Amino acid sequence: MIETRTPLGRAVLQVLLTLIIIPFVLPLFAMVQGSLVGRGWGNYKTVLSVPHFTSFFSNSAIIAVVTIVIVYACTMTAAFGFAKLRIRGKEYYFWALIAALTLPEIVLLSPLFVTAVRLGAYGTLWAVIVPLAALQIPFTLLITRIFVDRIPDQLFEAARIDGAGVVRTFQSVLLPLTGPITATIVVLTLITAWNDYLLPLVFLPNPRNQTITLIPQYFIGQFNNDQTKVLAAAVITAIPEVLVYLCFQRWFERGLSAGGVMK
Amino acid sequence: MSLRSGVQRTGSDAQGSEDGLEASAVYRLKTRSGIPRGRRSFVPSGLPWILPALVVVLGVIYYGIGYTGYISTLNWDGTSSNPKHVGLQNYQQALHDPVFWTAIRHTVFFFLVTFTVQTFLGFVAAALLHSRAWMKSVYRVLIFIPVVLAPAIMAPVFRQIFAADGQFNSLLRDIGLGALAQPWLAQPSTAMYVIMVATIWEWTGLNFILYYAAMRQIDNQVLEAARLDGAGNVALLRRIVWPLVRGTTMSLLVLSIIGAFKTFDIPWLISQGGPSYATEFLGTLIYRQTIPLAAVGYGAAISILLLIVAISLSVVVNLSRGSKGETRE
Repeated sequence: MIETRTPLGRAVLQVLLTLIIIPFVLPLFAMVQGSLVGRGWGNYKTVLSVPHFTSFFSNSAIIAVVTIVIVYACTMTAAFGFAKLRIRGKEYYFWALIAALTLPEIVLLSPLFVTAVRLGAYGTLWAVIVPLAALQIPFTLLITRIFVDRIPDQLFEAARIDGAGVVRTFQSVLLPLTGPITATIVVLTLITAWNDYLLPLVFLPNPRNQTITLIPQYFIGQFNNDQTKVLAAAVITAIPEVLVYLCFQRWFERGLSAGGVMK
Repeated sequence: MSLRSGVQRTGSDAQGSEDGLEASAVYRLKTRSGIPRGRRSFVPSGLPWILPALVVVLGVIYYGIGYTGYISTLNWDGTSSNPKHVGLQNYQQALHDPVFWTAIRHTVFFFLVTFTVQTFLGFVAAALLHSRAWMKSVYRVLIFIPVVLAPAIMAPVFRQIFAADGQFNSLLRDIGLGALAQPWLAQPSTAMYVIMVATIWEWTGLNFILYYAAMRQIDNQVLEAARLDGAGNVALLRRIVWPLVRGTTMSLLVLSIIGAFKTFDIPWLISQGGPSYATEFLGTLIYRQTIPLAAVGYGAAISILLLIVAISLSVVVNLSRGSKGETRE
């Protein structure tokens, strides 16, 4: 984009770039630096030795995996139905489903709370998983339907002529062709579920059931507002997120830019 | 960017992001089923296939909205078995509540600042990284990492940085600006800027990655031609590149508006909406009324108002975007 003819020009460009990036790196430095104040690595030892510290991670993982499975199953079947099958009044159903695309989750706070208490789901991971999935499906369905619409109808007709039933067509024709969009759905749902704060805050009062996003608040209570431990916990929580991102960089960038509209 | 142009560009690297960019345009798109009329009857019924999605989404979201609407007419603490019906009184109270209007003003101001800064930084960073620079992939990763991290995890970090004895003030002292050091989060005049900084930090990477993908689609010959006509770097970016990525800017605009109205995690965790409502948003207001203050009916009324604002905004934005999109084609 920007032309640099001289070595000086290239150097200026590099400096400019670095100046833009520095503010994005500084908070990460501040986080690590703050976590080492006082007892140094001892802060990390204290955090890791908190009983059931790992359960924050396993709870977040369970929530993410189950939400992904629900979202994936509902999205794929519905996208297939909308794109390739016959439904009377199809577009009305579709509209009803994607109208909730931009709904802020906080709007559902009180009804979900009352309902979860009444159904006995309050305090269980289901109280977080089901609303998460319901809020995610409108968007994943929208992008998946666009994707499935682009697959030629002839493929499905050929399968039908060869005697394949609908279920077989879904399994053997549709699913193998939807790899890229599956990756997008998985990454998008993973980030939404893993980073969600409001639903666990409201529905998971017991520390044993809580997710990683509630760790800072747990440690503020646990260590009497000792910032160094809170920051050490933040570093430990951030590391897996950064590692997973680095391993699946391309998918993360694609998935999140697709999800941008929703955030 | 129309659906058709998206179809032709199959297998492109930016496919994921295109899906997203087109997403809201599809609101208005009536998708053809693509099956010739006479053979329609052979196509099996799809109703059972869309049923799981319908049950989950309608069961949670529509039920939830309906229930919120009902609760909004009650004077209720969330637990008593016998709530009193008060009609539209909660709405009246909200519209006369100065904090409600403060939250709306904050949302608008917050949106204007964060959108402008994020767009500018994202655009410039994307342009610089499409030029000849060293270690480009490192810069890309560094600017995108914040998008992946949970705001809830980073909130304590920003509290620490902008505390009276935090790293930001020591940085100011180190570079000789010690006179500017102040308790940023403890005073109403500056707390909002901390919230904005945290938000910009969190989301600029997304603007960057969308612009980065959009700029990859720009034909090099267009840029060459502009250069032959004597356009300098700044003129090139302003007159050629900026108009060419307009679709992305519009998507980011929608995204930022929606994001501003959804704002909750960052202001709640950094400053609880305070001090003295200086960082109050609709999200934090609804949460405080519903959970800590147990004014569930009142919280529900504000939720419905938020819903109305969010829906009318996305309709307005989609309509205006639609008409402009058509003239471009």
